[in-house]
Amino acid sequence: MPDWKMLVRRRLGHVDLPSGSAKAVVSELAAHLEETYQHALANGLTNRAAIRLALQEVDDWRVLAVNISRAKEGLMNHRTKSLWLPALITLSAASVSLAVTQFLRTQPRLVWIGGWGMTFYWQWLATLPLFGALGARLSQRAEGTTRARLAAGLAPSLTMLIVMSLILPWGLAIDGFHFFRLVGFGLGLVNWVAIPAAALLIGALPFAFRSGWNLRVNA
Amino acid sequence: MSKRIRSNIARGSAEIAILALLAEQPLYGFEIAKQIGERTGGALKFTLASLYPLLYEMEKRGWVEAYWQANAAGRDRRYYRLTLIGRRQLAPLRAEWRSFFHALDALAGVSHA
Repeated sequence: MPDWKMLVRRRLGHVDLPSGSAKAVVSELAAHLEETYQHALANGLTNRAAIRLALQEVDDWRVLAVNISRAKEGLMNHRTKSLWLPALITLSAASVSLAVTQFLRTQPRLVWIGGWGMTFYWQWLATLPLFGALGARLSQRAEGTTRARLAAGLAPSLTMLIVMSLILPWGLAIDGFHFFRLVGFGLGLVNWVAIPAAALLIGALPFAFRSGWNLRVNA
Repeated sequence: MSKRIRSNIARGSAEIAILALLAEQPLYGFEIAKQIGERTGGALKFTLASLYPLLYEMEKRGWVEAYWQANAAGRDRRYYRLTLIGRRQLAPLRAEWRSFFHALDALAGVSHA
C-alpha cells in the first residue's frame, strides 16, 4: 500500500498555508485517498487498479493546492498575511516616523569615526524597536515562520539594503570608481542599514522565536 | 450556456447537497462523497479535488465545523457537522433551487414526474 501521506505531501507541494493547517490538510486528503483505495480493494479491484482509481481523484495537484489555499485563506494568501503585509506596515511606520522626526526639525547627531562624519537621528532610531516588534508580532499572529517574522520586523533595513545595492553600481557606472565613494557607501550601509537593523531586531527578537499567544480555547 | 453559469450551477448544487447531507448527521469527506454519489444515482459525483476546497470554504464561512475523531480501527477522520449558520443557509437555498427547477420546468418541461 502506498504511503498516502507522503504522496499527498509531495504532490501538493508547498501549499501556501500555515504549517499546522497544511499538516491537517495533508492528513485529511491522505485519509480520503486511503479510503478510496481500501474501498476499491473491497470491491474486488486489484492493488494496481485500486491505486490508479485513488489517484484519479485529482487531475491537477497544483490547481488543487491553489484552490485549497484560496478556500482556506481567502483573497490574501498566507505569504501575504504573514510576510508582505506586516513588512509593508513596518516599512510605512518607520518611514512616517523618520518623516515626523525630520518635520519636527530634530537635529541629527554628528558622530566622527576615524575622520569620517556620520549623522544619526537618535530619536528615530529609538522608535525602531517598536516597529520591529510590530512587524514581527503581526507576522507571528498570521502564523509566519521565524524567517518571515524577522523579515517583516527588519523590512525597513532590508528595503534600504536593496536600494543601496542598486545605487552603488549605478553610481560607480556614472561617476567611475572612487575610493571615497566606496567609503561613503560603507558608512551609508552602517548608518541606514546596520544600525537601524540592530534597533529593529531588538524589538523583533521576542516575537521571532516564541509561538503565538494561544487565544483559542480548545474544545 | 457560458462556462461561468455552468460553474455557478455546479457549485450551488454542490453546496446544497453537502448542507442537506450534513443536516442529517456529521460525516467525514470520503463518506460525504460516497453518500452523494449513491443517493443521486451517480448524477452528482465528488472527487477529492472538487470536495475539499468546497468544504474548507464552507468551514471558513462558518457553515460547517470540523473535528477529528478516530474510528474503531483507530484511523483518524475529520468529521464535518452543520453549524447554526449553515442550518440557516439550508432553507433559503432549498427555496431558491425549488423555484429554479419550477422555472426551468415551465420553460423546458424538465420535471421528472
